[in-house]
Amino acid sequence: MINSDGPGISLRLEAVTKIYSVSGEELPALRGISLAIKGGESVAIVGSSGSGKSTLLHLMGLLDRPTSGELYFGDRRVDALTPTERAVLRNRSIGFVFQNFQLIPRTSALENVEMPLLYRGMPARERQDRARELLASVGMGDRERHTSSQLSGGQQQRVAIARAMAGSPGLMLADEPTGNLDSRSAATILDLLLSLRDRFKTTLVLVTHDMEIAQHLSRTVRVRDGRLEGSP
Amino acid sequence: MTLVLLGIRSLLKNPYRSILTSLGILIGVLSVVVLTGIASGAKALVLQSIANLGPNLLVVIPGSVTDSGAQVGGGTDTTLTAEDAQAIRSQCPDIWNASGALRTAAQVQSPHANWSTVILGAEPSYLPVRDWRLARGGFFGDQEERGMARVAVLGRIVASRLFGLSDPIGKFVQINHAPFRVIGILSSKGQSPMGMNQDDMVVVPLTTLQSQIMGVTYVGVILAAATSPDRIGAARREIDGILRLRHHIPPDGRPDFEIQAMSDIAKTAGRLSLILTVLLALIASISLIVGGVGILNIMLVSVRERTREIGIRMAIGARPRDILVQFLSEAAALSFFGAMAGGAGGVLFLAGIHLAVGWPTPIPWEGLLLTVAGATLLGILFGLYPAWRASRLDPMEALRYE
Repeated sequence: MINSDGPGISLRLEAVTKIYSVSGEELPALRGISLAIKGGESVAIVGSSGSGKSTLLHLMGLLDRPTSGELYFGDRRVDALTPTERAVLRNRSIGFVFQNFQLIPRTSALENVEMPLLYRGMPARERQDRARELLASVGMGDRERHTSSQLSGGQQQRVAIARAMAGSPGLMLADEPTGNLDSRSAATILDLLLSLRDRFKTTLVLVTHDMEIAQHLSRTVRVRDGRLEGSP
Repeated sequence: MTLVLLGIRSLLKNPYRSILTSLGILIGVLSVVVLTGIASGAKALVLQSIANLGPNLLVVIPGSVTDSGAQVGGGTDTTLTAEDAQAIRSQCPDIWNASGALRTAAQVQSPHANWSTVILGAEPSYLPVRDWRLARGGFFGDQEERGMARVAVLGRIVASRLFGLSDPIGKFVQINHAPFRVIGILSSKGQSPMGMNQDDMVVVPLTTLQSQIMGVTYVGVILAAATSPDRIGAARREIDGILRLRHHIPPDGRPDFEIQAMSDIAKTAGRLSLILTVLLALIASISLIVGGVGILNIMLVSVRERTREIGIRMAIGARPRDILVQFLSEAAALSFFGAMAGGAGGVLFLAGIHLAVGWPTPIPWEGLLLTVAGATLLGILFGLYPAWRASRLDPMEALRYE
C-alpha cells in the first residue's frame, strides 16, 4: 500500500502577473492574481479559452515564472528559484496531468511511471515495484509494456495519472485532464483523480472550462481576462 | 549512471540513425589506424634493412661536394684505392675493421645454367665488417687476395639459379668465360636499403675483380666498422684525417670522398617516416572531424525532434544537468561504439594487408587506444553544444512544441 506524505501543500499567490512579450509586443496573460489554497483543498479554475487559467496553473506548477508578484508553497517563497531548484521541487512536490497526456513516445507505460522516481535517484528495483503498484491501482497493471501509441486516450491518461502520483506529490495539477476524452472515459478519469486525491490527501488544482466537472471540486475560482472574477 | 543508460536506450530506439551516425566516426578511426599502421610498417621496413647493414658501419664513397653542397658524380669517381682501405684498417684506433669493395655486372655460367648478376670484389675483411656469415663452405683469405685467385663465394639466389638443389662447393662457374672455383655460399641477407637484393650476388677477391675482370685499380667504396656505436663520430674524423693526408688535401680543402654513417642514415630515415606518419594521421584526422560534425548535426536534429520529450522530462523533475548528461551520453556512446568498431576494422584491415602483401604492419596498439579515446572525446565535444541546448530549453515552451 502506498502511503500519503501527509496533508497536501498549501499555496499562496500574491499579486502575480505574467506578461509575454512576442516580437516586442507585450501581451499580459495574468494581470495581478492573489489567491490562497489550503493544504488538501480541491480547487477548480474555470474560464474561457485565453482567460489565463492555464498560465495560472503553469505558474503554480513552476513550469514558468511570474513577471511580478510572489508565489508561496506553505511558507516557502518559490517564484524566484533557479531552474535546478524548480526541477527538484517539481519532482518532489508536484504531479502534472495534461490535456494531451504527454507520455514519452516509444517508451513503455512502466518506464513512464518510473520516470519521476528515476530523477530522484531511486534504485531500479524499488522504482519498478512502485510503478507496477501504481499502474495496478489505476487499472493498467496488465499493460505495463505498452507504449503510448498502443493505448487509447483514456488509457494514456490513466498512465499519466499514475506517473503524476508516483512521487507522492503534495500538489496535483491537472490541465483539462478530460478535454481530449469521450464522455465515458472522462467520467472514469475524473473519478480516478478524485479518489486518488481522497486517498493521498493531496491538494488538487484542476483547470477546466466545464462547469459540470468543476462542481465535483470543493471550490471554484473563475478567471476572466487575466483576473479573478469577483476581485477588483 | 542511470541517466547514461537512458541515453544509450534512446539510441537503441532509433537503431538505423545511430548506426549511420557512428559510421562517420567509424570511418575516421579506421583511416587513422590503417594509415598510421602502414606508415609505421614502412618505417620498420626501412630501419630493419638499415640495421641489416650494421649499425656501426661507415661508408666511404669517392666523389666531391661542390661549394653549394651538391654532390657531383658521387660514387663514380676513381679516387679511392685498396691502399686507402688498408690505411683506414691499420691506422684508425676507432675503426675495428675495413674493406674496400668494387662491383660490376656480369654473366655467370654453370654447366647447366647461366645467370646475369652482380660481381662484388671484396677483401677478406668484408664479411666481418658486414657482420655477414656463410651458409656453407669458406671465404677467401689474404693468400687468395694477394694471388688474385679465381675463387667465388655465391649468394643464395645465384647458387640456386646455377646449381638448383645440388651442392656447388668445389664446382666451377664461368665469369666472363674465366673459370672460378666455388668455395662458399653466403647466408641470406635480404634487401639492402637501396632496394638491391643482396642475395643475388657473387663475391670474388677484390684484386681478382680489379685485374682480371675489370682492369682497374680503384675501389668503388670502402666499408669501415667502428669499434662501437658511440665511437662513430671519432671514427669518421679519423678516416677524414687519414684520407686527406693520403690524397694531399688540406684540412680546409674540398675532399674527394664522402663519409656516410649508417646510424645517420637510419636517423634521417626515422625522421622522414615520423613526418610521414604524422602527416598521414593528420589527413585521416580530418575524416574523424567530419565524423564529429556528423554527430553534432544528428544530435541537433535529435534535440529538436525530441523537444516535447525534453519538456515532459523537465515537468516531471529532470534537472537541466540530467538532460545534459542524457544527451551527452548519447553522443559519447555513438562516438565510442563507432570508434571501437573503427578500431577493430582497422586492426582487421592491417592484418589483411599483412597477409595479402606481406608488409610488416605492426598493430599500433598505443596509437589505437589513443585514437579511440580521442574519437570518443571528439564525439563528446561535438555533443556538448546540442546537449547544452537541450538542457537550457524552457520547460513550458518545450511542452507546447509540436
